[in-house]
Amino acid sequence: MTETFEFWVSYLTNGRHLNWYASFQYTVIAALLGGAFALLFGIGGAALRNSSLPPLKLLGTIYINMVRGVPDVLFFIFFPLAFEQLVELVIAQSACPAGGGAGVWPPCPEANWFLGTGEYLLLASVSLGIVYGAFTANVISGALNSVPRGQLEAARAFGMTNWQVLSRVHIRQMWVYALPGLSNCWLLLIKATSLLSLLQITDIVRGANLLGAPNFSRTAGVIHGDWRWGYYLALLLFYILVTYLSEKAFAAITRWASRGMPMAERV
Amino acid sequence: MQNAAPVVEIDNLHKSYGPLEVLKGVSLTAHEGEVVALIGSSGSGKSTLLRCINMLEVPEQGSVKIGGEAIRLSGKPPNRHPADEGQIRRIRSELGMVFQQFNLWSHMSVLGNVMEAPLHVQKRDKVEVEAAALEMLGKVGILDKAANYPSQLSGGQQQRAAIARALCINPRVMLFDEPTSALDPELEVEVVRVIRLLAEEGRTMILVTHDMDLARTIAHKVVFLHLGKIEEEGTPAEVFDAPKSRRLQQFLRAADHT
Ligand SMILES: Nc1ncnc2c1ncn2[C@@H]1O[C@H](COP(=O)(O)OP(=O)(O)OP(=O)(O)O)[C@@H](O)[C@H]1O
Ligand SMILES: [Mg+2]
Repeated sequence: MTETFEFWVSYLTNGRHLNWYASFQYTVIAALLGGAFALLFGIGGAALRNSSLPPLKLLGTIYINMVRGVPDVLFFIFFPLAFEQLVELVIAQSACPAGGGAGVWPPCPEANWFLGTGEYLLLASVSLGIVYGAFTANVISGALNSVPRGQLEAARAFGMTNWQVLSRVHIRQMWVYALPGLSNCWLLLIKATSLLSLLQITDIVRGANLLGAPNFSRTAGVIHGDWRWGYYLALLLFYILVTYLSEKAFAAITRWASRGMPMAERV
Repeated sequence: MQNAAPVVEIDNLHKSYGPLEVLKGVSLTAHEGEVVALIGSSGSGKSTLLRCINMLEVPEQGSVKIGGEAIRLSGKPPNRHPADEGQIRRIRSELGMVFQQFNLWSHMSVLGNVMEAPLHVQKRDKVEVEAAALEMLGKVGILDKAANYPSQLSGGQQQRAAIARALCINPRVMLFDEPTSALDPELEVEVVRVIRLLAEEGRTMILVTHDMDLARTIAHKVVFLHLGKIEEEGTPAEVFDAPKSRRLQQFLRAADHT
């Protein structure tokens, strides 16, 4: 009995498992940071799309419509690579001797930009932010349009600056219309964190795959057979927990946002 | 009233929406302490005229002066706009506007609504503003609703809150756009009572209304707008008891039956 207990303790705390546990933290960080970027790009994109200046409006519309249509997997491989190579290209302009190393990348070793987990995590978060920012922008631009015109007009009539009208009335009232859509975007974003391995981050799904696979060792023989179901189950529970906590958080934010709002009184 | 200083001077205002010319050269002056009632049938341009006073709508032609200061406009129509954002904001912060649909900010308490502009536009002291706001809520009779949200109030109470909000900025002039038209008759009474009170206090007001009885009893000057022009104006006695133009006679006959 104690022997099996000890086995489980040492098995579950071996180096590979500790790495796997750490990757949960990457997932959570990428999701939270990605969510923050998505909100930022979302508000920016919505502001562009609702702008009265045609070039800005066009830019916002292009962002929202194009990015939403591109498969996120494609975008996740494309954006970090393109960004990395762009940075290397810039470095190469000054670091590399002219004409050297045709056909290889980077053109010279000095131009190689080494990315650690931190950099990849940031790139991953920005990628998530760009993709889900487009969905968020769509939700927010609709929500901004749902705020009663009369209240914005009243704000202007009392002498508020454009920025005050936007921040004190328009955005403040937008939330209640946007939150249902934003909660959808957020859950989709969380699911997309399972693609983190595409960005060189040991994500939890890949980790589960590796750890659960039948495990042999030359000295000890078979350690375990195909245990992937157990690891997948743990992932399932993790995502359910995250979803549950998200729902709780959104419910609390919704309560805050809908205080006094007419449509909330009816509920 | 003619000896008092002019507070609002509107000169030869023209305003179109696309091909539709809504105001066709309207001039109007409201003096200190004067109550001007604007009447006219639906679509005659009353709201548009009122909204041109604080440049919520920018006229293509003509000028507006508040307290002798002309609102500077620049650009050619249809892109005419206030030349100086700072000036227009300062002037707006001295004009108390009351809307037909109340337009209270739903995410703020009644007290929050009343304190908003004094605090964040006029940058007045918080303690002083709160005292003033409570006094105004008391004046309009909804002091007990200070902590409620607008959606928890009846229409009549909401409109009185909106009046308190406009009063709290210490306006040079109150601009009312059909303040009772969205209300049931029994709620109308309580708002009308507040408007009468303000008139008795000697406040300068421009009031768009369908309530002929109110116009007759509180206005010093009644202006009848028809198809974007001032068809007739005068004292309540002149306008209501001895209307000269056919249009006004027709309008008053129709108003009697509603
Ligand atoms: N933003 C706008 N765009 C286009 N047309 C408008 C706009 N605002 C008003 N109008 C038109 O201008 C005309 C005058 O409108 P206005 O609201 O000034 O009339 P009103 O005298 O206040 O009428 P009511 O008694 O119904 O309030 C109407 O024909 C209206 O349809
Ligand atoms: Mg009107």
